[in-house]
Amino acid sequence: MKLLHKSLAALAAATLTLTLAACGGGGEAADANTVEFWYYQPTPEQAQKVQALVDEFEDANSGISIKLVEIPKADYNTKLASAMAGDRGPDAGYLDQPQMARFADADQIVEVPAGTIDDADFYEGALQTNMVDGKLYGVPLQQTTVVLFYNTDLVSTPPKTWDELVAVSEDVNNENPDVAGVAVPKGDGFGAWMYPGFVASAGGTMLDEKNKKVTFADVPAEEALDLWHTLLESSPREITNSDLPFQKGLAAMMFSGPWDIVGIREQFPQLKFDVALMPMKETEASTIGGDNGVVFSGADNEDAAFKWLQFLSDETHNAEFADITGNFPTNIAAAEASTLADDPQIQVVLQQLETAHARPAVADWIQINDEYIARAIEAAVDGDTPPADALDEAAERAAKLLGWS
Amino acid sequence: MTTTAQTPASGTSQGARREGDTLTAYLFVAPAMLHTLIFMLVPAGAALYFSFTEWDMISPARWVGLANYQEVLFNGDVYPDFWKSVQVTALYVVLSVPASLLTGFVTAYLIDTVRRGESFYRLAFYLPVVTAEAAVGAVWLWLYDPQFGLVNQALGVIGLEGKDWLGTPSTVVPALALIAAWQSGTCMLIFLAGLKGIPSVYYEASEVDGAGAAQRLWRITLPLLRPTTFFLTVTGLISALQVFGLVYVLFSGSPGPEGSGLTYVLHLYLAGFRNGSMGAASAMSFLLFVAILLITAVQFRLMPRDFED
Repeated sequence: MKLLHKSLAALAAATLTLTLAACGGGGEAADANTVEFWYYQPTPEQAQKVQALVDEFEDANSGISIKLVEIPKADYNTKLASAMAGDRGPDAGYLDQPQMARFADADQIVEVPAGTIDDADFYEGALQTNMVDGKLYGVPLQQTTVVLFYNTDLVSTPPKTWDELVAVSEDVNNENPDVAGVAVPKGDGFGAWMYPGFVASAGGTMLDEKNKKVTFADVPAEEALDLWHTLLESSPREITNSDLPFQKGLAAMMFSGPWDIVGIREQFPQLKFDVALMPMKETEASTIGGDNGVVFSGADNEDAAFKWLQFLSDETHNAEFADITGNFPTNIAAAEASTLADDPQIQVVLQQLETAHARPAVADWIQINDEYIARAIEAAVDGDTPPADALDEAAERAAKLLGWS
Repeated sequence: MTTTAQTPASGTSQGARREGDTLTAYLFVAPAMLHTLIFMLVPAGAALYFSFTEWDMISPARWVGLANYQEVLFNGDVYPDFWKSVQVTALYVVLSVPASLLTGFVTAYLIDTVRRGESFYRLAFYLPVVTAEAAVGAVWLWLYDPQFGLVNQALGVIGLEGKDWLGTPSTVVPALALIAAWQSGTCMLIFLAGLKGIPSVYYEASEVDGAGAAQRLWRITLPLLRPTTFFLTVTGLISALQVFGLVYVLFSGSPGPEGSGLTYVLHLYLAGFRNGSMGAASAMSFLLFVAILLITAVQFRLMPRDFED
């Protein structure tokens, strides 16, 4: 019966997975000394560097071998779920931060044994993304956040506060109506991911997990939506909906992550831009993203798998690994020692990471983020629904979904 | 295989020969049947089973009976966008099916009249069908760009104001339907085959009787193409109801402005693969299956009886 169930599961997963092309048959390596590790497919040059890290690890830990499996990022969660449904999941791998709670609740990932890592070595925000119900379920491997990007031809001094942000945006748009002040985040998954940073800056939170209360309909959350709605007046969507508006000089500011620092330097060398900390209201804050390393409960050799995660997150290797995969170290000492710290723009990101907040650790957060909050953002920012009404509706739905009162 | 193939030559009795032929026939269709069984029927059965369970793909499925169906259809708190996705899809079907039938027919009709290079045009109009969906999406994103897009530029030339086609809820589905009309190569090919199947004697006879081009089109071509049109309407409707890839690429997996691009299958996909509600997603896929079955049955009911003539 169990076998039947598993094969049915695998088949259903295979048919429903529209984007799942031939899923190269991994999983044969049921060797207790081999750790199959899944991560996002990097460029070929980066992959070589990761392989060099593997070689170094294998030299230092004779008897353990690491089998790297590269999965395109866009398909990662789908493939992981399909592989696990078919009982062919990896031993260890990346796990997107908001997936932690779902996998932990389902007992699909193993609690990190005490002593594997020292909490104090890591950025608080990144570490928090591994906590589910107060227990540590993963090792932070890499992280990212958003900062303010501004076009130095259009903005001389970057705004430090929300009020200044609105004023600068209006100035830019008054000066030239064809240029938008800010590429205002939208009511989609990405905008909803950034939103908690703004709420935190206004002094609010999204959920109170201890007391089982939805808090993203409180005043700070409304103020965050008010800000975006106000910004939209000097930042018309007809302009910002164009392809890459900031890069092409059509928007004077945007909120984005370090990937754009690298991307703009390479692809838009003529654009004069700089980055600054996110404008704040009550306190400095931003949002955090990134990936954790986890060991799945079916792992043949948990010890070996955790050793590998330890290696990737330690002072000597974390910066290199995060850099290879285009992200930021989670290990403070590694970040400070890395060459990244010499780059002034990257330094702003590192500084911002200190105030980056983890997303709530509830299993249904992705649905709440993508469907309820995103929709409230859309209604209140692009539409004319008062923020309080939009958020109340979303909060009510979220509470029902979570089974909270 | 070899023995059965030789049976007719070895002069066995009629019955044995028929049996051998049947076996041969089964062997020939076996690959297709196995494919249907393994990759379609069994997974469909599995999906039916999972539609009665709560399942996130990572922990064991739990039997919940009809709860998924009930929640999907009636619980607007958990699935606030379900009916929205039905509306979006219905509008898409209503706009895209006639649009692609029309462009398919017009291109086929024109190609049928060209004297030279028919195969070139056939290929050219069929290309959008075989182009990778991701590439199609990227190209149309540029065409519809509110600032630099060719669509707005072209409208500007004739003095019309451009729009933010994919950024304005009311224009999203029409913009999608236009892409469908552009991708009507399959309709074109089948219409073309239909046109070739009309005996030229009808045209010759009508010309003798003094019928003009418009009358020939209206009284001969279109009526005789009715079976073709019917077939294309049925298949076009089925595929339009399942539109997914294009919207997924255009809106990078999000539902578009105010959910205006949230087609039924995109909604289903997000529920299953992003939100971890595979049970509910399976239920949605069965609801769609039933809907398609009913719609097709109605279409067959309405089908004119005089097809063979």
